[in-house]
Amino acid sequence: MIFLYILTFFLGSVCAAADYHERLVLRPLPRGSLLASFDFRSNASASSIEKQNYQYFPRSLGQILQHAHTRELHLRFSLGRWDAETWGSRPWNGRKEGGTGVELWAWVEAENDEEAAARWTTLTNALSGLFCASLNFIDSTRTIRPAISFEPSGHHSEATLSKLHLLHGTLPREPVCTENLTPFLKLLPCKGKAGISSLLDGHKLFDASWQSMSIDVRPVCSSDSNCVLEMGQTVDMVLDIERSKRHRDNPIPRPVAPEELACDTSKPYASSDACYPLDSTSEQPWSLSEIFGRPMKHSCPLTDSEGEGAETVCIEVPHERQVYATAGSTEHKRPDGFSRCYKLSEISDFDISLPQQTLSTSHPLSKPPLYAERSFTGYGQERGGVQTLLTNPSQTDSIEFIYLESLPWFMKPYLHTLKASLINGLRGSSSSDNVDTSSTSIIQEIFYRPALDRRRGTQLEVRLIVPPASTAALTYDFDKAILRYTEYPPDANRGFDVAPAVVRVLSSSSSFTSDSIFEKDQSESELPVQDSIYLRTTSLLLPLPTPDFSMPYNVIILTSTVMALAFGSIFNLLVRRFVGADEVEGLNVSGIKGKVLARIRKVKERFDNVKKIRTNATSHTNGVEKEKGNEGKKNQ
Amino acid sequence: MAFDRRKTVLFSAAIALRLLLFIAFPSLPDLLTGRVEISTPVTSFKRLQEGLFLYTHNVSPYDGGVYHQAPLLLSLFSLLPEHSAHPLATAILYIVVDILSAHAVMQIAETGESGSSRLFTSPRKDLKWDSIDIGAAYLFNPFTIATCIARPTSVFTNCAILYATAKAARGNTLTSVFALALASYLSLYPVLLFPPLLLLCYDRLLRNNKSTEKLGSVWRFASTVTVKYVAAIGSLLFISYTITDASWEFLASTYGVQLLLPDLTPNVGLWWYFFIEMFDSFREFFLGVFWLHLASYVGGLTVRLRTQPLFVVTTLLGIFAIFKPYPSISDTSLYLALLPLYRHVFPLMRYTFFAVATLLYATLLGPAFYHLWIYAGSGNANFFYAITLVWSLGLSVIVGDSLFAVLRDEWEVERPEMKGKEVKRI
Repeated sequence: MIFLYILTFFLGSVCAAADYHERLVLRPLPRGSLLASFDFRSNASASSIEKQNYQYFPRSLGQILQHAHTRELHLRFSLGRWDAETWGSRPWNGRKEGGTGVELWAWVEAENDEEAAARWTTLTNALSGLFCASLNFIDSTRTIRPAISFEPSGHHSEATLSKLHLLHGTLPREPVCTENLTPFLKLLPCKGKAGISSLLDGHKLFDASWQSMSIDVRPVCSSDSNCVLEMGQTVDMVLDIERSKRHRDNPIPRPVAPEELACDTSKPYASSDACYPLDSTSEQPWSLSEIFGRPMKHSCPLTDSEGEGAETVCIEVPHERQVYATAGSTEHKRPDGFSRCYKLSEISDFDISLPQQTLSTSHPLSKPPLYAERSFTGYGQERGGVQTLLTNPSQTDSIEFIYLESLPWFMKPYLHTLKASLINGLRGSSSSDNVDTSSTSIIQEIFYRPALDRRRGTQLEVRLIVPPASTAALTYDFDKAILRYTEYPPDANRGFDVAPAVVRVLSSSSSFTSDSIFEKDQSESELPVQDSIYLRTTSLLLPLPTPDFSMPYNVIILTSTVMALAFGSIFNLLVRRFVGADEVEGLNVSGIKGKVLARIRKVKERFDNVKKIRTNATSHTNGVEKEKGNEGKKNQ
Repeated sequence: MAFDRRKTVLFSAAIALRLLLFIAFPSLPDLLTGRVEISTPVTSFKRLQEGLFLYTHNVSPYDGGVYHQAPLLLSLFSLLPEHSAHPLATAILYIVVDILSAHAVMQIAETGESGSSRLFTSPRKDLKWDSIDIGAAYLFNPFTIATCIARPTSVFTNCAILYATAKAARGNTLTSVFALALASYLSLYPVLLFPPLLLLCYDRLLRNNKSTEKLGSVWRFASTVTVKYVAAIGSLLFISYTITDASWEFLASTYGVQLLLPDLTPNVGLWWYFFIEMFDSFREFFLGVFWLHLASYVGGLTVRLRTQPLFVVTTLLGIFAIFKPYPSISDTSLYLALLPLYRHVFPLMRYTFFAVATLLYATLLGPAFYHLWIYAGSGNANFFYAITLVWSLGLSVIVGDSLFAVLRDEWEVERPEMKGKEVKRI
């Protein structure tokens, strides 16, 4: 295997230069948000890795990949929801983004499915240790093998490609936190001590409205067959400027003093004792050190010292916006009018500060090609439905995309209820009378792999085409299984997380090549799949019926009692003989009950004898007869 | 002629009632299909549709956790027009199956096997309902109607069991064996009915021929019938093997599910909650115990009630309705179909009122408690579990009490002077 691996890459010159790039892009978003996008890329030539010389490529990860025969790896840690309606299209067109929790997919080289599964287990267990995440819980029930949703983004030779197996696993319940950030930073050559990575702090990163960390490893070959292993790490986060500026030692928001409130007094109902907030027309003031809680350290010495590669901090604001940078850095305004980049000083800290300012132009927000929203329908803990609204905002072009769902086994979808209906007109104006139920025209193809109880989850891939300016509603029903009581997590009534659906947009008009800086980084290496756009829905919380966890013993006892009653009464009837009740008097003495009754009778007789002495003896015989009569009744 | 007219009236009334329910309340079938009391994971109509959808789209329905029913049902339903477009076609099939079942029950009643078999004639045999009454009791039983409207596939098993019994009671060995093979193929547990049905067949053939020479001993008869039975099941399995693209996958997915209980969806039985709450290390052991418990009744009842094999069948059906892995009220309706044949022992039963009241209580409170647990959230799983316990207890009281009555009836043949007197069991 290793030999094959070597063959694949051992084609170019021996001393291919290993290099390292990093860049931070800051982009203010509407409503006081700021997108901070960190990008780190390091290359190591295949030939140097073969000699165990990893250079900027992290050795720990490299050895894991080699051991698990993983040719391409994509790992995502995400939190929060990207608000596409306010923030526009996603950074990197969603390619560096993951669903809530942890998402991992990799191309593993193996001869057959079993070997691939074994190597996948090796990989997840090793990564679990490396990133302090519960990746080892990605077992067969959480692993799928998507057929059309993902394609390798690296260069693989034909021989390798035929042996590659794609495996995809998700952990929607994983809380992404500081313990995942620390190993992430350790993989960087400057380890968060210098350069843009010195800004990354768990307190701010995991306080963001949305954040996504990604690790991508792929082989990249240039035209002269010179292959390198490229490692890309990104951190994207959307910060609320107002919230981030709160002092760390005093994070509790205080009421604003009345004289500082911006009140809208033009309203007829405005009065002195009520304040109607005024929409802010000016840009908020902020600086790097305020938002990230610390200033950026000097530049990482491993980055280029000249040219575009040295400009490691970019900010996408119109040129008219005032930006003050610390001395020692050099500013370079891009000709597009909306972005400028800074080359950091090699010795001193770096900070930029933007004052409050009213702008005449704003950065145009690019529209995403598709909006996707997924939710549960129905009520109760027995069954339910899933509804996904997929909106094509384009007025002219229809859109083709692949919708991928990976469902846990205890959620049992009914594929025969899968329907796609078209709601003409954009969202908000969906009138029910023009609902087009010709689902066949929307659904092009379905790949379905049903779940197996406790062994495999459901995998559903649907290729759809949505016509312009319309919303498609994809719905299906499912049943909720009830589990064994040991299979419920500690807080069972919270529910189970269902992994986000992944949407891969296949074709769309060319108008979506918006992200100038993001696009440029990718286009350097002419790679096969760069045109597809990904987006992910939010995860869902699935409540399941729960048994009473406190009474396994009671249930075992009660059920067994009912069974014993039936078994006992039936076999009692089968093995015993009938006799008349009046024939059993003598036989009765043999049993314990009989003995007791006989004793009682004797005692009673003695009492009666005493009575007989005291009173007149006429009723003596009758009394005994009466006793006997009672006795007989008791026996029955 | 008069007899036939009554039969026609009965059947048309039953058909009309069912059609009315299907047509007048179009949402009723789907509502009842969703009820856990009627549809179990191994009989649900919704799961059948899913299996059918996967089957017609060339995905193996047995490579999934939803469909656990026999492959021949797939071919049967793929012949019907699509359910979503023509729901009435399916409805008519289920109504026909119900009528056939009623017909089989009436055939059993007409043989008079319940009152007098080859080896035993009840002194009370003249106290009986005629076959029309028994057919009506089956067709207008609310459990039967609800089952028919909800369309679980257990009605096919029930029909096959009733036919096997009817043919056995008439001495038609081959048909009986084939019907029983079909029932066993569809839901596994009818295998346990083989010994009493074999004896029923043997007794009836002897009674018809009046001599043992042609038939040979009971052991010889048993071996030939067993061979036929195994051959019938084998051929059914082989047909299934060929229609599922030459794969034995369906065995694990249909019979494996019955044996190992991976799907713990609530039902009226005792297994589901027991195995939810069971400790992992003891699960296999108790699965064995539960199956052994179910099978243990066959030997005991068959030997003790050698003289009345039809009653063994009836009692076993009652026991299955309580203790089989995925019971539903359709199994109860099957037991209640055969129980009226023993009208003559009803006066000997002791706890009739108690048992009937318990069943009514459970029938009414079961859905309410299920609602409290699953939808309202104001009750927990114990509510519904408690009701299934009451239901099982009520049914087992009826089963035990009818057994007592029959044994008492039998005893009074040897002790006619004990009629009406108190008895004891020693």
